[in-house]
Amino acid sequence: MVRALLIKFQKKLVSRIRELREEKKFSQLELAKLLGVTRQTVYYLETGKYNPSLTTSFKVSHIFEKPIEEIFYFEPIIKEAIGNKKLEELEEIAKNVGVPFEKLLTLRKMNDDDLLKRFNQSDLVKISDALGLKFEDLFKVE
Amino acid sequence: MEKKGIPYEGIIHSDYKKKSLLKLNVFLALFLVPIILTILTGYFELNQAPPMREEGLVELSNLSGEDRLWLLIFALLCIVVVPYSVVSIIYYSYLSAFVRNFTYTISEDHIIVELGVFSKTKVTIPYTRIQSINVVSGFFDRLFKTYTIKVATRFQTLGRIPGLKEPQIIEEKINAMVRKYSQIPGGLDENIFKPEDLAFDNFISYILSKMREGESLKTNVKELREKKNITSAELAEKVGVPIHTIYYLEEGKYNPSLTLAYKIAVALDCKIEDLFQLSS
Repeated sequence: MVRALLIKFQKKLVSRIRELREEKKFSQLELAKLLGVTRQTVYYLETGKYNPSLTTSFKVSHIFEKPIEEIFYFEPIIKEAIGNKKLEELEEIAKNVGVPFEKLLTLRKMNDDDLLKRFNQSDLVKISDALGLKFEDLFKVE
Repeated sequence: MEKKGIPYEGIIHSDYKKKSLLKLNVFLALFLVPIILTILTGYFELNQAPPMREEGLVELSNLSGEDRLWLLIFALLCIVVVPYSVVSIIYYSYLSAFVRNFTYTISEDHIIVELGVFSKTKVTIPYTRIQSINVVSGFFDRLFKTYTIKVATRFQTLGRIPGLKEPQIIEEKINAMVRKYSQIPGGLDENIFKPEDLAFDNFISYILSKMREGESLKTNVKELREKKNITSAELAEKVGVPIHTIYYLEEGKYNPSLTLAYKIAVALDCKIEDLFQLSS
């Protein structure tokens, strides 16, 4: 059976722990003790450098009384990549790639299903280059 | 880099003097009131009682009414009024000097408290040692709306600043500095600042939590997978892991990462909480 090539966004784990922790006025050390981890772990969890274990995630969810999906979620890497660029730079990129400026911006909030409907692979390769990243950093092919 | 408002220098409020003086008065009253009552009782008894036979008191009862009154006043002066005044004046001068000499500074790396009337003391407290900040208001404090901030480790008070009117400002400043220090990335701060017993505690709790983790997760992956008529092999392929990972997962022997749990939840079209539960 031949499967059509699927292109999806590469995503990274984003955590809202710091925001929720500061809301409740915990220090990192207090949260670390509640979770049974070291303070260093809390730091890495907050900066998204660390993929938490499921038990830790459950404990976090329990402490902040929110479902796991609201605390940890996956965000396309391209969202930050585009968000970091100034508007003038993005207009430049849109012109060079040959894509309308507004269409380029929609990449920030698009989901996987719409991606292939609205863009083709070569456009995405050009966009990745223009953003200074490799295609594989931003997208995955299945 | 100069942070706004740091270093912050402060002194304590003169209401601290009033509060301490009141406390002294109440304390002295406990002594002096019985003494006054005793003297007064003696005086009234002398006035009414028949002549006494005991030596010293015979002469007393022979005194005229007016003389007795003068004796009373004299007794009260010597035993109560003068000592009380002397003590109060001395204590008040001491308090004034104390308040005048008490300063605290919230600086970049430490809190510095300088105090002392006769001998001067300077206490330097680094933020990394501070584990709690307590705001205390005793009975007499509450009458004058003064507060004391105590800065402590888990077991030991490191320093106190009494006589504060707006403790929350200082508490927030100290908190901000302590938080700033607790955010130093692991490598640096754990080697240099962390006291050894705390590091050991953390190490043990880390090991224990790792040991406990595998046991405390309950999983419904197998049931939900079979409900959707998907084989283990198919799920493994969908999620992108070797098939024995799925086996281990379903047996509850494996504590998956959040990413894996998400992928399984997406593959089985349900929520993570449906698939896994923390049992405790």
